[in-house]
Amino acid sequence: MTNTARIFREHNIVFVTIALCIVFYMVSPRFLSVDNMSAISRQIVPIGLIALGQFFVVVSGNIDLSMGMGSVLFAIVLGVFFGLTGGVAVGIVAVIVCSLALGFFNGVLVAKLKLPAFIVTLSTLFMAQGLSGLIIPRGQQIFLIGDFFRFVGAGKFMGLYWSFLFLIALFALAYVVYNHTRWGAYVVAIGNSEENAKLAGINVDRVKIGIFMFSALCSGFAGLVLSSRMGFVQPGLDGNGLLLDGIAAIIIGGTLILGGRGTIGGAFWGLLFIGIINNALNLLNVVDVWHQVFKGAVILAALAINWMLWQSRQADAH
Amino acid sequence: MSDAAVSPRRTFALDGLMLRYAVLVGLIVIASVGFSLANSNFYSITNVGILLRSISVLFLVSMGMTFIMLTGGIDLSVGSNVAFSGGVGVVALTTTGSATIGFICALLAGMAIGWVNGVFIGRLRLSAFMVTLATFALARGLALVIYDADSINVDNAAFLWLGGTSWNNLPVVIPFVALMFIALSVLLYRTTFGRNVYAAGSNFNTAFVLGRRPERSVVWIYVLSGALAGLSAIVTVGRVSSGQPWAGLFLEFDAITAVILGGTALSGGRGRLLGTILGVLLYGIIINGLVLTGTNPYLQSLIKGMILLGVVLLDTYTQRGKSV
Amino acid sequence: MTILKKMTATLAVAGGLMGTTALADEGTLDIVFINDGHVAPYHVAWLSGFEDAIAAYDEAFSDLEVTGRWLSAEGSLEKMIQQAEVTINEKPDVMFVNAINVDAFEPLVAKAQAEGITWIAVHSPMESADYSFTLGDVTNGRNQGLAMCALSGGEPFQVGVMLGQAGNPSGEARRQGILEGISSCDNIEVVAEQPADWDTVKAQSIAENWLTQFPDLDAISGVTDGYMYPAIAVAQNSGRDDLQFYGYDGDVPIIQQMEGGNVMADILLSGTREGWNFVQMAYRIHKGEELDKVYDFFTPLVLSEANHEKALANGFPEDIEVFYVDRALEVATKGYLEFGPDSVQ
Repeated sequence: MTNTARIFREHNIVFVTIALCIVFYMVSPRFLSVDNMSAISRQIVPIGLIALGQFFVVVSGNIDLSMGMGSVLFAIVLGVFFGLTGGVAVGIVAVIVCSLALGFFNGVLVAKLKLPAFIVTLSTLFMAQGLSGLIIPRGQQIFLIGDFFRFVGAGKFMGLYWSFLFLIALFALAYVVYNHTRWGAYVVAIGNSEENAKLAGINVDRVKIGIFMFSALCSGFAGLVLSSRMGFVQPGLDGNGLLLDGIAAIIIGGTLILGGRGTIGGAFWGLLFIGIINNALNLLNVVDVWHQVFKGAVILAALAINWMLWQSRQADAH
Repeated sequence: MSDAAVSPRRTFALDGLMLRYAVLVGLIVIASVGFSLANSNFYSITNVGILLRSISVLFLVSMGMTFIMLTGGIDLSVGSNVAFSGGVGVVALTTTGSATIGFICALLAGMAIGWVNGVFIGRLRLSAFMVTLATFALARGLALVIYDADSINVDNAAFLWLGGTSWNNLPVVIPFVALMFIALSVLLYRTTFGRNVYAAGSNFNTAFVLGRRPERSVVWIYVLSGALAGLSAIVTVGRVSSGQPWAGLFLEFDAITAVILGGTALSGGRGRLLGTILGVLLYGIIINGLVLTGTNPYLQSLIKGMILLGVVLLDTYTQRGKSV
Repeated sequence: MTILKKMTATLAVAGGLMGTTALADEGTLDIVFINDGHVAPYHVAWLSGFEDAIAAYDEAFSDLEVTGRWLSAEGSLEKMIQQAEVTINEKPDVMFVNAINVDAFEPLVAKAQAEGITWIAVHSPMESADYSFTLGDVTNGRNQGLAMCALSGGEPFQVGVMLGQAGNPSGEARRQGILEGISSCDNIEVVAEQPADWDTVKAQSIAENWLTQFPDLDAISGVTDGYMYPAIAVAQNSGRDDLQFYGYDGDVPIIQQMEGGNVMADILLSGTREGWNFVQMAYRIHKGEELDKVYDFFTPLVLSEANHEKALANGFPEDIEVFYVDRALEVATKGYLEFGPDSVQ
């Protein structure tokens, strides 16, 4: 019995997601078709990258609001460098360098200068939004044409998108880092209590800067994937929808927003949950004014079900 | 007002916070001088009236947000709630023709969303961020459904009075905000409810053990925030003489920013309403001033980011310099 | 043409220099444009057209100091109202306002007019405004739908229509027009209508979902070209080379994909053109010219020449004004051709 309870405790979101799939399948059988699953797997990649980067930030008790507009900015950085030189590698290196620089900037302000992460990253969100409209000569587009972009945007391996496989690999890597390395334990320790972490001899500042650099790098990857799929970059895209979906994914997956608790597996299922809701809105052809009601109601219902499962397992435990 | 702001109970936190408020006042002065140098219109009586009126809703919502953030929570649904409760109020008004019923319905609708938040967060102990992110979508969606995605004109003078009337250049909503500030200060600093707010923020479990019933307070705090959203809805409708399904968009992010600028931590337990008032003023001045400078919107985003960062940097630094 | 323009500008500057002392305070023209947002490709082009036109007019008419500001309300109605209030207090000569909801701005229009400011309602017309700058969204949408009818070839034809944000007047008008146009023939079935909220990223997911959900989908229509970029990319990546696209906005890269690509029709708005037209309109009002109270922005349909002939053969109305690709591209990129200082000198 305790075993069942434990499974429920750690995998509530799994059951909720599966239940949701069954409901949608009954409404529209096409929902579980291979094509649709494959479409979902591709759509969740940018959200997943944001979610993964945000995961470590949130577990450490911080938040990174700059990830959405950041990915838009990095897509434009990619376009500018690719456009100037025609070299894919140059573009990618530029994205990596710029994203790490932004992460370092966020990290230093939060860790060394002890500024609130919410305000720091809100400021960098605004800056990224401003820069993304300023660095390309206005009204121009840069096309990303080449095998590499086609590969990232649509390349498949054994029926699965490379971008999705890359996401899975990153999640697996994150799982190992989070659960089996000292660094992962440090992140949790800092999220639980920064004071205690310091007393335990952890170099809190360095870990925090690392976390923000990783999250910014993830948004760089998200920008790369987004722009490759579209085949062009242009100033004036909105990345904030992506940010909110990413945060929703990890919190639905059981990550505590105040830090110190969360699992990579939970984050992944939360990601699937968000991807499925977004997909179902289109698939069920929900009328436009009902979109938001649908999304809000499904999330609330999921939270309630989650809670009921939690209650039942508490009853089990006693 | 100052009497309500100085509470004998929490003197240990006062020195740091008072210094912070002094810095905020200084920053407000600096920002005002700076913008008035850039544009002489900044100090015109009319512009000050515009500024105060445009941030009146932010004042109301941010005060509710302060209560919530003191408990370590967050309320992302307030902006959507302004649209939703405004919709309910306006529909009630147009069907019954009675402004009183309209007011009551708007307040009740706001409180209903707040109550849903409160029950999920306080009783079921779910993440405030997640729950209010869901009601953020839900309330906006319901507003769109109520309005059928279109605005509704309002010409009932009584309903429009609060948000639409000015005495000379002083919008009537400003004395109203001041009254709310006094009332909420009394609630926060002079009642058991207020002590429970701080207790729930400092340590939920300790408060629980001490028999403070923090979960009950939490429900009411979100209901309070919902009620303030309902009031804001009435002000907004008065300001634009119509009910709008997209009212209050992203208001919650402005409110959270203002509250943090005012010295209340996201983690809860520490902060005061006075700080929030100063935070809203400073934020409002920055936004208003940027409009007057007339730079292009992308440059404005960039400047806004840098100013925000500069403000927290300066603020934290002066405070830290003093405490060392 | 460019050389001609430069020469005119130089002459104007020379003339201005000679008359500077006498005409220094001859006049100012301060133009403010308040838009609902600035996070869409169209907005970026709009801003650039507006700023270029301000500079060109300022340079060309030395007796007149032309200044301009472009404000973004970032989607928030309250911010837009605040910006309008602040701007009215500044007393510019002309205010263009692309209201998120026109009803909310009635009190402000009266206030602006009392200050002697000319209020121009952008896109959604207002009875009380001095002028309304409209796009003819319903007509344009209908033209897009009619073009689809004429190019669909009479066989059963499935289309998905991507909408704007729920309740947005421009989006609603375009949708109404498109559906009207499509309903004029009975072989086209609208299999899905979904809002993408003017968001390119959302449009990409919707396009993907449609392609899996409707294997027989023949075309994607949209109320903005912002949706066409991701839709085209998705179709190419999934090997759907036969899918047709019907756009709206006149974005240059979309028009470029008309020859040899699968973009069948577009509506030539072009943000750059619109920005230039604003400044020209403000200048004409300043000169005391009487304009129509409802000023229709000239927005022709864009087709390739071959497709136009094909459409005409299939009963496409002859009186609908059509620009071919080359002309559309030239006009879209060079706003001064139609609306520059030369056009009013």
